[in-house]
Amino acid sequence: MPRLSLTMKEGTVVQWFKKEGETVKKGDLVVEVLSEKVTYDVEAPASGVLRKIFVEEGTDIGVAEPLGIIAAPDELIEVAEAPEERVIASPAAKRLARQHDIDLTQVKGTGPKGRIVKEDVQKFLQEQVMPQLREVIPLTGIRKTAAERVAISAREAPHSTITMEVDMANAAKLREKLKVSYTDILVKAVAKALTEHPIMNSTLDEDEIRIFAAVNIGVAVATDKGLIVPVIPNADEKPIEEIAQMLEKLVDKAQRGTLSKEELTGGTFTITNLGMYGVDVFTPIINPPETAILGVGRVAERPTVSKGEIVAKPIMKLSLSFDHRVVDGAPAARFLQTMKAILEEASSILH
Amino acid sequence: MRKVSYRDALREALQEEMAKDSSVFIIGEDVGRYWQGAFKVTKGLAKKFGDERVRDTPISESAIIGVAVGAAITGMRPVAEIMFGDLSTLAMDQIANQAAKLRYMFGGQIKVPLVIRMPFGAGVNVAAHHSQSLEAWFTHVPGLKVAVPSTPYDAKGLLKAAIRDDNPVMFFEHKLLYPIEGPLPEEEYTVPLGLADIKKQGKDVTIVATLYMVHKALAAAEELSKQGVDVEVIDPRTLVPLDKKTITESVKKTGRIVIVTEDCKTGGVSAEMAAMVAEEALDYLDAPIKRVAEPDTPIPFSPSLEQFVLPDEERIIKAVEEII
Repeated sequence: MPRLSLTMKEGTVVQWFKKEGETVKKGDLVVEVLSEKVTYDVEAPASGVLRKIFVEEGTDIGVAEPLGIIAAPDELIEVAEAPEERVIASPAAKRLARQHDIDLTQVKGTGPKGRIVKEDVQKFLQEQVMPQLREVIPLTGIRKTAAERVAISAREAPHSTITMEVDMANAAKLREKLKVSYTDILVKAVAKALTEHPIMNSTLDEDEIRIFAAVNIGVAVATDKGLIVPVIPNADEKPIEEIAQMLEKLVDKAQRGTLSKEELTGGTFTITNLGMYGVDVFTPIINPPETAILGVGRVAERPTVSKGEIVAKPIMKLSLSFDHRVVDGAPAARFLQTMKAILEEASSILH
Repeated sequence: MRKVSYRDALREALQEEMAKDSSVFIIGEDVGRYWQGAFKVTKGLAKKFGDERVRDTPISESAIIGVAVGAAITGMRPVAEIMFGDLSTLAMDQIANQAAKLRYMFGGQIKVPLVIRMPFGAGVNVAAHHSQSLEAWFTHVPGLKVAVPSTPYDAKGLLKAAIRDDNPVMFFEHKLLYPIEGPLPEEEYTVPLGLADIKKQGKDVTIVATLYMVHKALAAAEELSKQGVDVEVIDPRTLVPLDKKTITESVKKTGRIVIVTEDCKTGGVSAEMAAMVAEEALDYLDAPIKRVAEPDTPIPFSPSLEQFVLPDEERIIKAVEEII
């Protein structure tokens, strides 16, 4: 298993391109592997026959562990068979397991030296009252990373979410004129707002709030393998057209799973957009170790009151989740006010 | 209920059976009116029943048992004493080849209603020739019954039942038990051979112990109860016949068993009981069977070394903790 990034500890075998017994040439793509963030096709390091596959598709394995053996067709290879894992269980536990048709490999032993005792099987039986399962999906790759990260964020950062309505009439005009998306406009608007509210562009590290110099905006992209967040570095310094071009490429690469490590790291603030699904307001979870995340709702025509008249306007709702350890409600609200002002006076995005 | 010592309880059994049945008599070294028993079990009996019925013998274990076997098959009910059970070796032919086999080999035409009482056991600093626990030898000879009472109540009841039994009974009396006192009813009773006694009810672990070790096991159980471990202590009371039911029922309840005996571990009484539990209650065991026994060594003369080899509360507690 190759190391695809400095922090990678394990990877998932996604797909074997060759079968056991198939001839391979040096440089042939043999197997596709997936780290936390990127997929990678492993080339054959030498010509020969793929004699042995150690790691099945969908299985995780540590970095530097062997995936398989390529050798000459007649070369003697010694493959140490993993010793069959013997289940240590007391006779009483085994008897109970037999009675209830329980697979003891599924039961955790708590007796001396990890022996499964009767009580363990009884506990297992009680847990079995759960509904029947249709399938079990192993938590691997992107899903596993996401699970760990949102759990850390939800556990460590006290979340607070505030929302605000924005009149998107001018932004809509700008979108037509520049042929950009609302997301492009939002990336630029957020970058500008962050330069005015640097506290939102920060991270909490033990007893220090560290404010980032650069404004690097992550954009959450839903892919069939899970959520992935490519980053637009220095978004505050880039014209919106450049942001639009970059974002288009990044989203495309995200869908194909070919984002590089550089394209996935360094974010200081994240935007997540559920507007295309008809969502107005939600409570996003901060992308750790950042301080805040902006949730974007749909743009929809709504009745508004202006000078005593009911007028239909394209309205969007923003949902800002922030780490309450770093900022209180008022500065977070002021950040949203700035966002609203920038978006409603959309031409300011151009400079 | 009155408190009576183990020694006195045995004497009551002898006295009651001798008074009831004139064929009952005592034979052994120094059991008569001059010494009245090495451990004073027969004290006063010669005076009461006469020298004919409480016979002193020369120092010859083979003669004592040979005479007793002959008397038994010709209608008497002898209670023979071997002053130290270790010296049963000298009467082994009479015990194993004669007493145990005669009823069988004569097609049931004769009976051997013989009791052989044997003070035995370690803990009083009398070295390797006078400290052994040899119960297992006799359990291995078909035709012999083996009684192992731990309390005054059991000692009296079992001895009376043994005297009334038509087969030879090896009767083990641990030296350290003689002064131990316990409740004893005024009215007559017997304890049937082959019925275990639950000395303490419990639900977490079964300890099966015999003789002096019953008292060690009860002390360990009390200590373990402070740790929240509820121990059941079972005393088989006879090794042949063995009350398998009481032991296996207890194991079915607790799932764990520690067997505590003073004899050497290899081929010992505990080995037989462990095998029985494995054969008859394996599927109820929730932990390996544990044995606490003497290591395979002669009993040392040095008091500190003697204490070192003998099973004690600490080793019993450790064995229990290992499987809890």
